[in-house]
Amino acid sequence: MNSTEPGASRVGGTVDLGPPRPTLTEAITIKLRTPAKLRNLELLLLVFAIGITGAAVVLVQLGAIGEIDTTVLIYGAGLGMLALGMHVVLRITAPDADPFILPIVVTLNGLGVAMIYRLDLAEGLAGWESAGIRQMVWTAIAMAIALAVLLVVRNHRVLARYRYVAMLVGIGLLLLPMLPGIGQTINGARLWIQLGPFSFQPGEIGKIALAVFFAGYLVTARESLSMVGRSFLGMRFPRGKDLGPILIVWLAAMAVLVFQRDLGTSLLYFGLFLVMIYVATSRLSWVLLGLGLFVSGALIASQTLSYVNARFAAWLGAFDPENYDAIGGSYQLVQGLFGLANGGLIGTGLGQGRPNIVPLAESDFIIASLGEELGLVGLFAILGLYLLFVARGFRIGFNGTDDFGRLLAVGLAFVIALQVFVVIGGVTRVIPLTGLTTPFLAAGGSSLVANWIIAALLLRLSDTVRHQPRLVVTDDE
Amino acid sequence: MSELTLLLLRIGFLILMWAFVFAIVYALRSDLFGTKVRRLPAAASAAAPVAAAAPAAAPVSVSSSGPARRLVITSGAKEGLELPLESDQLTIGRSADSGLVIRDDYTSTHHARLMLWDGTWMIQDLDSTNGTLLSGKKVGAPTAVPLNTPVSIGTTTFELRR
Repeated sequence: MNSTEPGASRVGGTVDLGPPRPTLTEAITIKLRTPAKLRNLELLLLVFAIGITGAAVVLVQLGAIGEIDTTVLIYGAGLGMLALGMHVVLRITAPDADPFILPIVVTLNGLGVAMIYRLDLAEGLAGWESAGIRQMVWTAIAMAIALAVLLVVRNHRVLARYRYVAMLVGIGLLLLPMLPGIGQTINGARLWIQLGPFSFQPGEIGKIALAVFFAGYLVTARESLSMVGRSFLGMRFPRGKDLGPILIVWLAAMAVLVFQRDLGTSLLYFGLFLVMIYVATSRLSWVLLGLGLFVSGALIASQTLSYVNARFAAWLGAFDPENYDAIGGSYQLVQGLFGLANGGLIGTGLGQGRPNIVPLAESDFIIASLGEELGLVGLFAILGLYLLFVARGFRIGFNGTDDFGRLLAVGLAFVIALQVFVVIGGVTRVIPLTGLTTPFLAAGGSSLVANWIIAALLLRLSDTVRHQPRLVVTDDE
Repeated sequence: MSELTLLLLRIGFLILMWAFVFAIVYALRSDLFGTKVRRLPAAASAAAPVAAAAPAAAPVSVSSSGPARRLVITSGAKEGLELPLESDQLTIGRSADSGLVIRDDYTSTHHARLMLWDGTWMIQDLDSTNGTLLSGKKVGAPTAVPLNTPVSIGTTTFELRR
C-alpha cells in the first residue's frame, strides 16, 4: 500500500511535453482515451441492430404472406446504409460520443417500421398509401436532420446562448396549431398543422426547444430557486415571488389541456419542467408543489371538460359496456388489451397475430401490436432498450462538464422516459390513455424527427463530456 | 413454410432481441455495477524509475495569481504525480470515466467533484460511502478548496497548486 512511487509526472490528455527534462521529474504523457474503441463497439452493435431489423421484416413476410418480398428489404437496406453513414459521420465529428445510443435508436426504429409494414400487409395497402413506406421516408428524413444537427451543433454550449430564442420558438410551435387556417383537429386534439399535403405536429419539435430553454434558464436561476425559502414540514419551500416560472409553465400546460384538448402533451411539458427544476435545485418541494398544481388542474379538467372526463371513465371502467360501446370510449383500449392477452408470453409470432383489429394500431397502439406478436418477452426487450437509452442520457448528464449540458441531457432523456411511460401506461391501463407517441416506434413523421434530434443532441453532449484530462490512481498492494 | 420452422424462427427472433439487450449491458457493465478494484498495469506505474524521493512536484510553469492550475498527489499510491486542471470541472471516483480515477477499497464509483466557480475551486462530495476530507474535516455541501490544503479521498491525498 505504501510503496510510493516518487517522481513527478505531468499527465495530460494529449499534451506532449517534448523530451524529458534532465531532472528528477519525468515528463510522460499517458494516452488513456482510445476513441476508435468506442466507435468500433458502436459499429458492431449497429450491424447487430440492422440485422435485427432485417430479421423482423423477413419474419413479417414469412408470417403474413408466406414468402419473401425483396423490394421492401431493399428499402430497408437503404435505411441501414444511412445508419452506417451516420456512424461514419460520428467517427469524424464526434469520436468520443456514446456508442450505445445509435444502435438502440436504429433497433427501435427498425422494429417500428417492421410492425407498421406488417399492419399494411394486413390492410392490403401499398405504395404511398401505406404507412410503412411513409415511415421509411420519414426515417430517412429524420436521420438526415439528425446528421445536420450533429454537423451544425459542434458545441452544445452554443445552445445556451439561444435560450430565450428557444423559449419563443417552443411556445410558438406549441401555439401554432391554434392558428386558424393551418391548424387541424384530428381525433378531437388540435395538435397538427396542415401545409399542403403534409401534416405536422409542431409540438414535438417544441419540446426540444423548451428543454433547451429550461436548461438555460435554470442554470442562471437555480441559486434563487434553491437557496432561499421557508422551512416547513422538514422541507424548504420556495418564496412566493420565485413561483412565477412554475405558474407560467403550469398555465401553459393547462392551456394545452383546455384549448388543444390533449392530456398527454400537457403532462409531457409540465413533467419536463418539474424534473429539470428538481435536478437543478435538488429540492423535493418543487416536485410536490408542481404535482399538486397539476393534479388539481387535471381533476378540475376531468370534471369540466367532457373529453378528459370520457378518458377517465374509459380508463376506470374499460370493460363497462356503456364505455365500450360509446364513441371515443374504451373500445380501442380493450381491443389493445385483448391483443396483448392473445400474445401471451412469447407472442403469436411476427405476421401471425391480428393486431390490425385495434384502431390506430400503427401509431398510438403500436405497443399493443408489438406485444401481441412478440409477447411479453419481446415487449420487455423493447422496454429494456428504452431503459438503456434513458440510462445513457442520465449518464451523459451526470458526467457533464457544465451545468447547462448536464441539465439538457437529463431533460432530453427524461422526455423520452416520460413519453414511454405515458403511452405504455395508457395502453396497459396503468394511467388514463392519452395521445402521446411511442418514441421511435410509432408511425408519425414529426415524432420521428423530434426523437432523432434528441438522439443527435445526446450524442453531441456525450462527445464533449469525454474531453477532459485524466489520471488513474491504482492501489498497488 | 412449416409451422415448426415458423415457431423456431419466432423464438429465435426473441432470443436475438435479448442478445442485443445483453450485448449492450455487457458492454457497459462497469457503468452499471461499478468498476472492480483491480491492479491496473498502467503506463503510470511503469514510469517511476527514479528511486530518489521528490515528494513535491517540480513546478513546470508557475503563475502567481488566479485559480489553481495543478492537482498534486501528496500521499497515496501515486504520490508525486500531478494533473493539470484544464477544464472547469474534474470528477473523481472509481469509475473509468472519471477525470481522476482512484481505484482503492475506500473510493466510491462517483466519489467527488472539483468545480471552478468564479475563479475558486470548490469540492463537492457526491454522497460517497467513506466521504471526502478537506484538511481533516468531512465535506458536505460544495466547499472552497484553498491552495496547498490537503484533500483526502480513500488513501489518496492531493493538494491544489498554482
